[in-house]
Amino acid sequence: MTEPVVQIQNLSIDYVVGAGRFRAVSGVSLEVPQGHVVGIVGETGCGKSTLAQAIPRLLPEPPATIGEGRVIFRGIDLVKVPLWKMPAIRGTGINMIFQEPLNSLNPSFRIYDQVAEAIYIRRIRDEGNLVIDHRPPAPFDYSKRPTTEAGEALLRPIVPGGAAARAVRGRRRREGLRDEVLEYLRLVRINDPETILDLYPHELSGGMRQRVMIAMALSEKPELLIADEPTSALDVTIQAQVLTLMKELIEEVNTSILFISHDLGVIAETADELGVMYAGKLVEFGPVAELFEAPRHPYTKALLHAAPTRYKSEGPLATIAGNVPNLSRPPSGCRFHPRCPIARPKCRAMPGPPLEAVEGGSANHRSACFFPGEVASIP
Amino acid sequence: MSSGPLVEAVGLEKLFPLTRSVTEMYRGTPRRAIHAVDGVSLAIHSGESVGLIGESGSGKTTLGWLIARLHDPTGGELRFAGEDILPLRGTALRQWRRNVQVVFQDPVGSLDPRLKVWQIVGEPLRAQGGISKSEVRARLRDLLPTVGLPPDCLDQFPHEFSGGGRQRLSLARALSVNPKLVVLDEPTSALDVAVQAQILNRLVELQRERDVAYLLITHNVAAVRYVADRVAVMYLGQTVEVGPVRGVLEHPIHPYTKALLAAVPVADARRRHTRFKIGGDVPSLVNPPPGCRFAPRCPFVIDRCRTEDPLLREIPGASGQLVACHRAEEVRDIVPESLLTTVDGSPVPKVAAPA
Repeated sequence: MTEPVVQIQNLSIDYVVGAGRFRAVSGVSLEVPQGHVVGIVGETGCGKSTLAQAIPRLLPEPPATIGEGRVIFRGIDLVKVPLWKMPAIRGTGINMIFQEPLNSLNPSFRIYDQVAEAIYIRRIRDEGNLVIDHRPPAPFDYSKRPTTEAGEALLRPIVPGGAAARAVRGRRRREGLRDEVLEYLRLVRINDPETILDLYPHELSGGMRQRVMIAMALSEKPELLIADEPTSALDVTIQAQVLTLMKELIEEVNTSILFISHDLGVIAETADELGVMYAGKLVEFGPVAELFEAPRHPYTKALLHAAPTRYKSEGPLATIAGNVPNLSRPPSGCRFHPRCPIARPKCRAMPGPPLEAVEGGSANHRSACFFPGEVASIP
Repeated sequence: MSSGPLVEAVGLEKLFPLTRSVTEMYRGTPRRAIHAVDGVSLAIHSGESVGLIGESGSGKTTLGWLIARLHDPTGGELRFAGEDILPLRGTALRQWRRNVQVVFQDPVGSLDPRLKVWQIVGEPLRAQGGISKSEVRARLRDLLPTVGLPPDCLDQFPHEFSGGGRQRLSLARALSVNPKLVVLDEPTSALDVAVQAQILNRLVELQRERDVAYLLITHNVAAVRYVADRVAVMYLGQTVEVGPVRGVLEHPIHPYTKALLAAVPVADARRRHTRFKIGGDVPSLVNPPPGCRFAPRCPFVIDRCRTEDPLLREIPGASGQLVACHRAEEVRDIVPESLLTTVDGSPVPKVAAPA
C-alpha cells in the first residue's frame, strides 16, 4: 500500500478564550490515502472545521493552540513548522476550498487576475524561483530611529515604491497567462469562459464562484485538497452540478480530498472513507458504504436516522435525546454517553473508549464504542 | 366562517422595479423590473400545511411575505377567509395581522439581542394592545413549554439559546396570538439534522393541537415531505407544479420537479457514482422572456416551450397535481433518476422509498 498523503496523529487543538479553555479537537487520528476522498461529518461545533483548518495551519494562533499531536505531510510534521514557512507548503501541497465562495475571492480583482495569480505562483515555484520568506520583520528599534533632515523628502527619487509598485509588478506577471486561465476555467465546465475572465466576483452566481475557486485550487495541482462545506451555500441543482464536477475532477487530476460536510447525502455521494466527529472526538471511521449499512457507533446510527425521510402520517421523526455538550465541560468517559441509548456505567468512567478496529468489519473500520456489537440492535 | 379556503391568492404578482440611470431615462430605455412573483395562484385551507419548494431566487420567500402582507403586491388578488385583504391599512391591517404570523429564516437576526425573552415572544401580544405586562408573562409561561422551552427562561436573552432554541423562540412568538396561518420561512435551514428533526416533530404536533395552517417555505425537500399536506414547486416566480405531497414527490411530472428531486443528495452510498445531467444556472428574473421559464435548462424542450407560456392544468393519469408544462403527458412517466447517469453505464439505483 502506498504512503498516505497526510497522517494526523492524536491531534488536539485548544481555543483559549479569556480565562476559559475549550478543547475543540481532542486526540483525533486519521489518514487520507493517496487518491481517496475522505469525508468528515458532524454537527455544528464538533470541531470538523477546526480540524480542517489546522492541517494547513490556517487557524488563527492564538486563540487556537495546537496542544499535542502530529500532522505528517511529505514526511514533515506540520505542527512543528514555523508559520512563516507554511506558504511554501500550502500552494502545491495543501489547498483549500471554503464554504462561502464570495468571501474567498477578492472583490476588487477580475476573475482572470485571481486565477492567473495562482497559475503564476505555481509556475515560478516549478522553476524553483519562488522565494518565500514571510519571516516576521524584526521589531522596530526606537533607539536607532533615523532623524529626518528638513527638506530630505524633496531630494528622494520619485519612483513608485511600496504597494503601488508591487501592484504594477503583479499585473505584469499575470499577463500572458490567458490561455492557461481559459484552460482551467474550461476544466471546471464554465460556459463562455472568455466573458467570465473580465468579470468581478459579485457578477457571478454562487455556483460559478465556487467553480472558479475549484479552478484556482486545482491549478496548483495540490497533493491534498481540503474542501470545507464546498456546496453548503449552493442550491440543490447547482450543488449537484458542482458535486458531479468534483467527482470527475478527482479522476482527472488525481488529487486526494478531505471533504468536510454536515450533509450525509453529500458525503455519501463523494467520499470513499468517512469519519464521524462528535464533541471534538472522532467516534467512528471506515469505508463509507460500511458506515451507512452497518454503523458501529450509536452516534453514527442516530445521525443517519435523524435525516427526515418519511411523511407525517408515518409517525414522528427519530431524534437524538439531549443536547450537544458544552466543550468547556465535556462529559466524562465517552462523550456521547448522556445521550446514548445503550450507555452503561462503564461508559461514564475515564478514560473513554479508544478508537479501535471493530470485529467483522473492514480492516480500516474503527469505532470508539465499548459495545460496537450492540449498535445494530438499537431500533 | 365561509367554507372556502383560508387564504386564496389569484394571479399574485410582485415586481421590483430597477432604477434607471439618467442616461437611460434620457434615451427612453424602457423600465425594467425583477419579476419576483409572476402570476401565482395558491389556496391554503384551514389547518392545512402547504410546502413551497424552489431554489434561491425562485420567489418563494417573496410569495410568503406577500401572503403575510409584508410586501404589497403589484397585481393580483389576495383573500383571507373570503375577505379581500389588500385594501386593509393602518389599524385594520394591524388587527388583521393576528391571523397570520411569520417565523423568519435567520434565528440570530430575527431576535433583538437587547430584549429579553418575554419582551420578544410577547411583542405580538402587546402590539395587539389591551394586555398588561403580568398577563403577558403569565400567558408566555403556558406557551413556552408547548414549543419545548422551559417556562422559567422569560428573563434570559436570545444569545443564551442555541440555534434550535432560538428557532423555538421565533415559533413561540408567532404562535402567541393564536394565528390561523403561520408562514415558516426556512425554519430549519440553519440547524443540524438532529435539531431539525426535533423542530419538525414539534411543528407537526403543534398543528394537530392548535389546528393552525402552515405555509412552509424551504429548499429542503425532506422537511416538506414530513410537514406538508400539499406542495407547490416554484421556479423563477411561477408555480410549475402543485399537488398532494405524495403525488408530487413520488410521481413528479414537471421536468423541473424531476430535476430538483434527482439533485437532492441521498444518504445512500450506492449513489456515489451517479452524475447529474441538468446544466446551466438559474437565469435572471429581470424581464424574463416569454415561454416556459425552465426552457433554457430543460432536457425535453421543444419550440413551443420558448414562445408560449404553459399554464397550470390537470394531467390525466397524474396523482392529483396540477402541472405547467406543454409536454406533461409525454414526460409524465419519466422517473427523476433518469436525469442522473452512472459512470459505468449500470442502472441508477432507485432512491430508497421512505419506510
